[in-house]
Amino acid sequence: MQYALHKILHGMLLILGVTLISFMLMVWFGPDQTYTLIGKNATVEQIEEVRSQLGYDQPFLKRYTDYLVELFTLDLGASHSSGEQVGSILKRTIPVSLALMIPGFVLGNLVGIALGLVAVQHRGQWIDRLITGFSVTGMSLSFLIIIIALQVLLSTPFGVNLFPVRGWQVTGLGSYLQFVTVPTISLILVTVGYNTRFYRAVFVEESGKDHIRTARAYGASPATILWKHILKNSMIPIITRFMFSIPLVVISGSLLIESYFGIPGVGKITFDAITNGDQPVLKAVVGLTAVSFVVIQVLTDMMYKLVDPRIA
Amino acid sequence: MKQAALSVHKLNVSVRSASGTVNVVKSVSFDLAAGEVLALVGESGCGKTKTAEAIMRLIPHDIGQAQADTIELNGVNLEALPEKRMRDIRGRKISMVFQEPLTALDPVFTIGSQLSSVYRRHRGQSKRKARASSVDMLDRVGIADSRRIMKTYPHQLSGGMRQRVMVSMAMACQPRVLIADEPTTALDVTTQAQVLSQLVGLGHESGTSILLITHDLGIVAQYCDRAMVMLHGQIVEEAGVTELFSRPQHPYTRELLAACPGAAVL
Ligand SMILES: Nc1ncnc2c1ncn2[C@@H]1O[C@H](COP(=O)(O)OP(=O)(O)OP(=O)(O)O)[C@@H](O)[C@H]1O
Ligand SMILES: [Mg+2]
Repeated sequence: MQYALHKILHGMLLILGVTLISFMLMVWFGPDQTYTLIGKNATVEQIEEVRSQLGYDQPFLKRYTDYLVELFTLDLGASHSSGEQVGSILKRTIPVSLALMIPGFVLGNLVGIALGLVAVQHRGQWIDRLITGFSVTGMSLSFLIIIIALQVLLSTPFGVNLFPVRGWQVTGLGSYLQFVTVPTISLILVTVGYNTRFYRAVFVEESGKDHIRTARAYGASPATILWKHILKNSMIPIITRFMFSIPLVVISGSLLIESYFGIPGVGKITFDAITNGDQPVLKAVVGLTAVSFVVIQVLTDMMYKLVDPRIA
Repeated sequence: MKQAALSVHKLNVSVRSASGTVNVVKSVSFDLAAGEVLALVGESGCGKTKTAEAIMRLIPHDIGQAQADTIELNGVNLEALPEKRMRDIRGRKISMVFQEPLTALDPVFTIGSQLSSVYRRHRGQSKRKARASSVDMLDRVGIADSRRIMKTYPHQLSGGMRQRVMVSMAMACQPRVLIADEPTTALDVTTQAQVLSQLVGLGHESGTSILLITHDLGIVAQYCDRAMVMLHGQIVEEAGVTELFSRPQHPYTRELLAACPGAAVL
């Protein structure tokens, strides 16, 4: 109980810190809409008027606290460019991005873990070299090439032409699978090299530990060593990597995938908001990212406690 | 002559390092008689642990290579055994206590789980039976509240307790041979004496021969029948303990004795 309270308090402070920093960045370096909304040859008075409508004339602290209130009440205002409520924009786009990214993200990690396990099991043998070589190749290929090649192979008459090249007209499971397959394979291929290399290194490190020698000295088979001792001892780095790449993959990954596949998710609206200087949308996305980072941090801490008895 | 419990003939070990392969154990041969406690003495880095690991065939290919004419355990040549058969022997016929009590046990499994897995692996015992056997074994190495200890994790125990747990794992199947690799180097003097007496006592009860690796000549004098002195990967002298202390042959042995006045009194 005290632990939970402590964590929540800690999380609150983190949210304050992260939102403050991102808000400062946004105010100082972010887009200024004054001159977009205003026509040419504006008078000083007109400029002042627009600025006060946008709230730019308020003191920084006031703007920041207003922002926090907006975030916590989820009353995020309306988009400057479309006039739609930011809340409803997010409600529409977040599920799309999650549905788009989760399969590829989870599978990409699972494939990385599986290949890493196979590689340590056959350490130094040809299969290990093959996997290592494959990961290095994967890492050095540009994501652009991977995406375009997959689109050509899977979605055009030059290849099997089974899936739509772009878009997201999802009405049920069938159409979901149609639209999600190519982005998912792309995401797996783009990330699998990095994942495999990371997980292989973790497993190699664990397999050199003293207690692994002890297990072997008491007759444990390679399978027991791998599945019981190495895997359980690797849970901390696995959890860390998995959890902390969630925000990264969801934000920047969806930015990338959604723009290439023309999918109307959070990444797409964030991209548009940046180019249009749509502050309410940006503020909401940045705030939610900060909050999700903190939530993930707290969740991760709790998961550590589950897998490692040394963490009190 | 009685058949030796362990008979090693011309064991060589090389390890890979940045500057090429290095021979760290060179043509080591010895016999360990049934019920005997044999010391392997030598300075740090002379190859004691590698000798032990090579006998148990525990050296991974990426670290180095071990090769011997024969390593006979109870008349069976381990060198000729397939790895799968070797796994049935490790921990059952020959077992090992490691040098580092801090890291030798798996940090994420309980003591009970690690100890009972030996009974389950080699004695085919059920989970329940294995737990009961484990509690008994912990009692025998002088652990007072063995039931509570079963539920703890290695980091919750002192070095002495962890080493007692290692000893109980090693003796669980009453092996023919126990290799104890500096089992007490990391412990304080009082605990050292307790753990060693337990180890030697248990070995005596089960008829287990012990290869006791140490660099402490006091321990050799007190617990061992014979001793081998190792220098740079070679056995330079081998003798009964009284003989070794009264008439050391090799200059290195004399040096060791001179550096250990307590033991020379004997
Ligand atoms: N993994 C390894 N890679 C390369 N060299 C190693 C490795 N392990 C041991 N060595 C080398 O092999 C030699 C013998 O090591 P070993 O561990 O057998 O020594 P030891 O006699 O047990 O020493 P100590 O008393 O310190 O335990 C040492 O010189 C060491 O540097
Ligand atoms: Mg050693």
